[in-house]
Amino acid sequence: MSRRVAILGAGPSGCFVAQALLKARPDLRVDILDRLPVPYGLVRYGVAADHQGTKAITRQFARLFERQGARFFGNVTVGRDVTLEALREAYDAVVVATGLSTDRRLGIPGDDLPGVHGAGRITRALYEHPDAEPLPPLGPRPLIVGNGNVAIDLLRLLAKTSEELDGSDLGPGPTAWLAGSGIDEITILGRSPAAAARFDAVMLKELGRLSGVSIAVDDLGTAGTEEGARTLEALSALHGHGAGPRRIRFVFARRPIAVEGDGCVSGLLCIAPDGREERFPATSILTAIGFDGETATAESGAAVRMAPGLYGAGWFARGPRGTIPDNRADAQALAAVILADLDATPASSSIPGDVLACLPGTVTYDGWTRIDAAETAAPPAGRCRAKITGRAAMLSLAAAPDEKETQP
Amino acid sequence: MKIAVLYGTETGNAEMLAEDLAGELEGDHDVSCANLSGFDPAGFDAGTFYILVSSTYGDGDLPASAQPFAKAVEAKAPDLSGIHFAVFGLGDSEYHETFNGGGEKLAALMAARGAVQVGERVTHDASGPDMAEDLAFPWARQVIEMAAGLVGEDA
Ligand SMILES: Cc1cc2nc3c(=O)[nH]c(=O)nc-3n(C[C@H](O)[C@H](O)[C@H](O)COP(=O)(O)OP(=O)(O)OC[C@H]3O[C@@H](n4cnc5c(N)ncnc54)[C@H](O)[C@@H]3O)c2cc1C
Ligand SMILES: Cc1cc2nc3c(=O)[nH]c(=O)nc-3n(C[C@H](O)[C@H](O)[C@H](O)COP(=O)(O)O)c2cc1C
Repeated sequence: MSRRVAILGAGPSGCFVAQALLKARPDLRVDILDRLPVPYGLVRYGVAADHQGTKAITRQFARLFERQGARFFGNVTVGRDVTLEALREAYDAVVVATGLSTDRRLGIPGDDLPGVHGAGRITRALYEHPDAEPLPPLGPRPLIVGNGNVAIDLLRLLAKTSEELDGSDLGPGPTAWLAGSGIDEITILGRSPAAAARFDAVMLKELGRLSGVSIAVDDLGTAGTEEGARTLEALSALHGHGAGPRRIRFVFARRPIAVEGDGCVSGLLCIAPDGREERFPATSILTAIGFDGETATAESGAAVRMAPGLYGAGWFARGPRGTIPDNRADAQALAAVILADLDATPASSSIPGDVLACLPGTVTYDGWTRIDAAETAAPPAGRCRAKITGRAAMLSLAAAPDEKETQP
Repeated sequence: MKIAVLYGTETGNAEMLAEDLAGELEGDHDVSCANLSGFDPAGFDAGTFYILVSSTYGDGDLPASAQPFAKAVEAKAPDLSGIHFAVFGLGDSEYHETFNGGGEKLAALMAARGAVQVGERVTHDASGPDMAEDLAFPWARQVIEMAAGLVGEDA
């Protein structure tokens, strides 16, 4: 009988682990669970709506289910619908790839004032995650804290004109929210000097094609490394770009010390490089400084065996750092460890039956293809997809036609 | 014909395409498929037609799995005259100026060592409507036809 592997979480890490396992051993039984009715994790709910090319990676993942025999069990929450213990009994190996999703707080006085929002909260709402909180008003002067690609994603989406969002899968609610934002100026502020900013140069270049903005970059400073020099080059090319009505201002080397405001955000107090205090007025503050869970200990590239037959992958194991390619490399290393462990342990003869097949309300891969078809069949003008946003609607679309008929 | 499909990838799209391509050509040719990360430039053989499939990263650079190969070619400067190759690129037009920089760099790297490029370099656009295989399969048939009279001729 073929050995069984359960993977919790159908994000890129879970899918890449499945891919590497099945490439080496096509006979493995690989089951991928997700608490959402839909697969692909942050590829669907984190990667920017206007970066459809990056999302095209789901074509690889679709193959897992369409050709390589993996099974999808959506709408299954481990701990509620099935226990981890039951899964560990029923499978030779269990891989936890559930990601991490809590925004890291600024950790300074005032960081809980109304008007301070984590980037994860905002992006989940923008991309219509079923559990997202509503999109909040940002006012005319939002300030983004952070020097990574998520900060740039937010900046770009807030800065784009409606036409520039053509081709994306941004939903009607978020589209209206952006169109009505009334933003005059966006400040993007980071602690590190410009040369140490973690922006990809290509992401900065993309900003240089925006039509409705005018960009100023303060305090370029100097670079000590080749990578830093590239970042500076891309930033200085942006300085002075455009004459559009929406002003964008990059500020570097400012250490935030307090969020100011009386009942609601009015600004951010920082320490400037010369040691003086400097105040940045803002009507809202969006923090894109990473996600909580930095306690996760695994080094990048290290395969994580948490207990015999129990493994961790991706952001769950490594902490919320790293891109999709990083997860692929890690997943391949982990799969090698799992396969070696499987070879070293005898197949159990008393494995219980299919614990997932009997769960009510699970969404199969076919169920997901029905949701996917409904989303892509007739998207509105300028959009490539119209996401189904609520769980109930997803579940009803996912239900097989004959199942629906038998329902009262 | 003896064909080697070599790919450079980061997230696996080029790998999937390379494997699909190898599968597609297998019936009519003697085909192998490998990651550039494990390919030694000293191993080029004039009796084989090389189909290189590469994505693009960074700022128009080669993807991670092709970097060691590129470094080795630069360091060892092998004589690749008599080697025939074609390049299929993967990129994303969202990255405008550097669209398909990876495929372009790979082609230039080979040509600089005297290898001969066969046919046009074609690029798949991740943001475009086409499936990579729909572009790559007919392209491959075409470059293979062009290579038929060339590969191994004066080897
Ligand atoms: C806003 C944002 C934008 C990003 N943009 C890019 C980009 O453009 N390019 C790039 O390379 N990387 C990007 N990244 C990084 C990339 O998304 C991550 O590297 C990657 O998604 C991590 O994969 P993962 O599978 O570990 O986690 P996730 O993608 O979070 O997947 C985890 C999955 O587990 C499921 N799950 C959670 N709890 C449970 C449970 N109890 N039971 C069952 N299932 C559960 C979740 O529903 C989810 O589907 C971005 C990240 C963010 C936050
Ligand atoms: C961070 C990043 C940078 C990229 N840079 C470029 C680029 O400069 N030019 C380009 O044409 N494509 C670029 N791409 C797109 C990829 O080449 C494209 O998605 C390709 O399909 C990936 O193939 P792979 O999975 O084999 O690596 C980039 C993608 C990412 C995620």
